[in-house]
Amino acid sequence: MTEELKVAVERKPHGAVLYTKGYINNVGGEEIANRAYELMDDGVRTLLLNLRETKIVNSIGISILIEIIEKMMDQGGKIAFCCLTPVIHKTFQIMGLANYASIFDSEEAAAKELGL
Amino acid sequence: MSPIVRRFAEFLHDLQQLDRTAARGDAILACFTRHTPFASGAVYLRERDASLRLAAKTQQFIAPEILDREPPSELIAGTDRVLVPLRSGREHLGVLALTGGEYSEEDLEVLRAGAAFVAIVIANQRLSQEAREGDFQLKYRLWELESLYDIGLSIAGTLNIDELADEVLFRMISLINARRAALFLRDGDGFKPYRAFGDVPIGVSDLQQLLETGKAISLEAGTVVAVPVNGNNQIIGVLVAADRETREGIGAFEPNELRLLSLFANQVGIALENARLHREALQKQAMEHEFELAATIQRDILPKSIPHIEKVQIAALSRPAKQVGGDYHAFFERENGVAMLVADVSGKSMPAALLVSALHAAVQLLVREGRELGEVATELNRHIHRWSAENKFITFIIASIDREAETLEFVNAGHNPGYVLCDGRLDTLKSHGLPIGMLAQSKYMTQTRPFPNGSTVILYSDGITEAENEAEQEFGNDRLEDLLRTSCTASELRDRIAAAVDAFVGSAPQHDDQTLVIARSL
Repeated sequence: MTEELKVAVERKPHGAVLYTKGYINNVGGEEIANRAYELMDDGVRTLLLNLRETKIVNSIGISILIEIIEKMMDQGGKIAFCCLTPVIHKTFQIMGLANYASIFDSEEAAAKELGL
Repeated sequence: MSPIVRRFAEFLHDLQQLDRTAARGDAILACFTRHTPFASGAVYLRERDASLRLAAKTQQFIAPEILDREPPSELIAGTDRVLVPLRSGREHLGVLALTGGEYSEEDLEVLRAGAAFVAIVIANQRLSQEAREGDFQLKYRLWELESLYDIGLSIAGTLNIDELADEVLFRMISLINARRAALFLRDGDGFKPYRAFGDVPIGVSDLQQLLETGKAISLEAGTVVAVPVNGNNQIIGVLVAADRETREGIGAFEPNELRLLSLFANQVGIALENARLHREALQKQAMEHEFELAATIQRDILPKSIPHIEKVQIAALSRPAKQVGGDYHAFFERENGVAMLVADVSGKSMPAALLVSALHAAVQLLVREGRELGEVATELNRHIHRWSAENKFITFIIASIDREAETLEFVNAGHNPGYVLCDGRLDTLKSHGLPIGMLAQSKYMTQTRPFPNGSTVILYSDGITEAENEAEQEFGNDRLEDLLRTSCTASELRDRIAAAVDAFVGSAPQHDDQTLVIARSL
């Protein structure tokens, strides 16, 4: 296991998907934020974060994710998450992320709902 | 609308935009330099620690000394600059320094009004930010509690130790915002690393200190903490966390996080104990299953009845120990009498049962081919030596009564001496060779001795003579020999020996198989 987070981006016709692999902490969170802000600057307003290969997230990572959500909402866009582990799903619910971002079981379901 | 009112209305409109976005220093300054006669200036904002920070300034503005002063309570209008306090009620939020223009009293009034408005915006945004942070902290505490509860449920339900270790690491890292972590498990007098997430800087001596004191330790200025995991009245592991994360980077763990980690370690201790007990239960179950199979194999190959041989009384006793051993006995009808053997295979359980099975197959074949006993033992030795494990061997005694010749042939390969009772005299059939399977080249010669009708031969396994009572004393050969000298039938003798052994042993458990074979030529 490694503490380093890897992010991959896949542009879609109507948005983008960010794939994360590893620990969403302060370093990992910033990496996601950088990629997300680049996409926002590029006009992306619908962003899906696929956390299939992420098993750990800490409170710093969560606060950064909240900032990304807020920034996207300020710009009139939306962010969603998919493929969360049960632990991360529950964490997002308790920390309030689920109030501002949709959570989907699969990427297919998310893509369909978001119109990616 | 008068020009001053229009100017103020436009100024107010711009200031209102600050409320929709974050009231950043550069945005505030831009509003004031755009709508007042001042071309340059700076904005200083108070931080949470009450210090004043330069938030923004125009390129030309140089006034570092303002940072060293207490912000003014009222607007100060100098010849070259104007200082405008940013105050909301009693709260000093910062100061605006403006320069580079001629101004009137009206301009100063506009400045005062604008500054009051900006101060309210900043105060509101700070309140809102604090409320959000408070809300986040509240949710975070709730999440901590939920996590501890969940961890208890989750890891207590995880009985596979590898899965458990992963779960423990992930939960612990999240719980205390650690960047790296490791789980060490007890290994003899020390610990061995079992799972790690990143490199954890902890040495053997640190772990040894924790083992000796039983208390949590803090290293590297608090950036590394280790807590003991207790279970089964001892330290069974150590949780180590390194580098507490903050938004700015990494730092030392705080006392409440160390307490949280200790609480977590308690849950982990219970879970690890559960996993250990579960693993032991599974092993026990597997062993019991193995014993059952071994017992079945042995039951199936031992004689189910005593052969009826004319003018020969035969009696046998076979009492397997709870933990299956490797005693074996058999009878073979021969032309002028009967042959019988008792063997004891080294080891216990399934390996012993399999060797007994191999012995049974080989000996049945060799004896029924009519080979003489020495040849049977020699062939058997070669066969067992080739096919069994290096440390497996069989003590073996076989004796054959020839009623017509009134002789007893026998081979004793490392087994307890058998007995012959003849005219009130007790002789022994001593071992004259190595146990079967020990040495490939072993050869065994048939021994022959007189066996007048009326004589009795007794073969037994060491489970009889080495049966222990609660004082760990052995039944011994002397007690056996005393019983053998009594006059009775083969069956009566068997029953007397069995009863004497039982009486001697009392409630002590039976550790080894007990086998006894008696044949009396009438």
